[in-house]
Amino acid sequence: MGIATEALDGGINKVVLDGSLDIAGAAAIDLRMNVVAGASKAVLVDMQQVSFIGSMGLRALVQPARALFGRGGKMVIFGPQALVEKVLKLSGIDTMIPIYHDYDAAVAALR
Amino acid sequence: MTSNEMERAGNGVEDLDELTLGSRLSELERLPGWIDAIAARFGFTENTRFAVQLCLEEAVSNVIRHGYANQDGQFLTVQCTEPHEGYVVFTVEDNAAPFNPLESAALPAVGDQDPSDLGGQGIRLMRGFADTLEYEAKAGGNRLILGFSNAGANAGDL
Repeated sequence: MGIATEALDGGINKVVLDGSLDIAGAAAIDLRMNVVAGASKAVLVDMQQVSFIGSMGLRALVQPARALFGRGGKMVIFGPQALVEKVLKLSGIDTMIPIYHDYDAAVAALR
Repeated sequence: MTSNEMERAGNGVEDLDELTLGSRLSELERLPGWIDAIAARFGFTENTRFAVQLCLEEAVSNVIRHGYANQDGQFLTVQCTEPHEGYVVFTVEDNAAPFNPLESAALPAVGDQDPSDLGGQGIRLMRGFADTLEYEAKAGGNRLILGFSNAGANAGDL
């Protein structure tokens, strides 16, 4: 499971995830996700290359999101694949972290 | 658990049709490789493979974390059968205290939950991705039976 970050204009941090967010994948990104969320006001999580997500992967998203929201910050998810999006919606995570398939709209939601 | 099963688990011996896991969350890392072999054998679609990995990860982690309370030294098995062409059944068996996860109360949406307890979303996810989900009590443990049609129809319902 790969994780890369990129600073965008306007104080937005983009996190690009690549691989399987199974238990091992979730553990691989857990610390960095929390660090990024702790240092950011706005986070875009690019999930275009995430091939799988289970409940431990959900936790790796929700924990930093809750911390970020508690400080008045924002987080969005961009571009999840169809099956990954089904998991996100079944679990209700989309009611907490909005999902976008249009990149410009995702960025605009964070400004 | 028989001594043979314990030996197989300890040595990492895996059948194509049955996987024995120890009661440590790290054992979940053995699932994807085993599922890959099963998927190749039965010609899983991508949708079916995704659904199987998701459901088995949830089912097994629930046994380890809740059934065995993360205590090492216990075992569980995951068995795969194909009762008829195009339909695959996975049976997760443990020796934990009797517990039917299908009777647990519906969980709130993830946004309302304590993040440390998100594992409970597993039942919701299993119901959404497995074609059939059944529980049987067995002498000295539990049996969770998950069925998947290999047409990917369930996962395709987006």
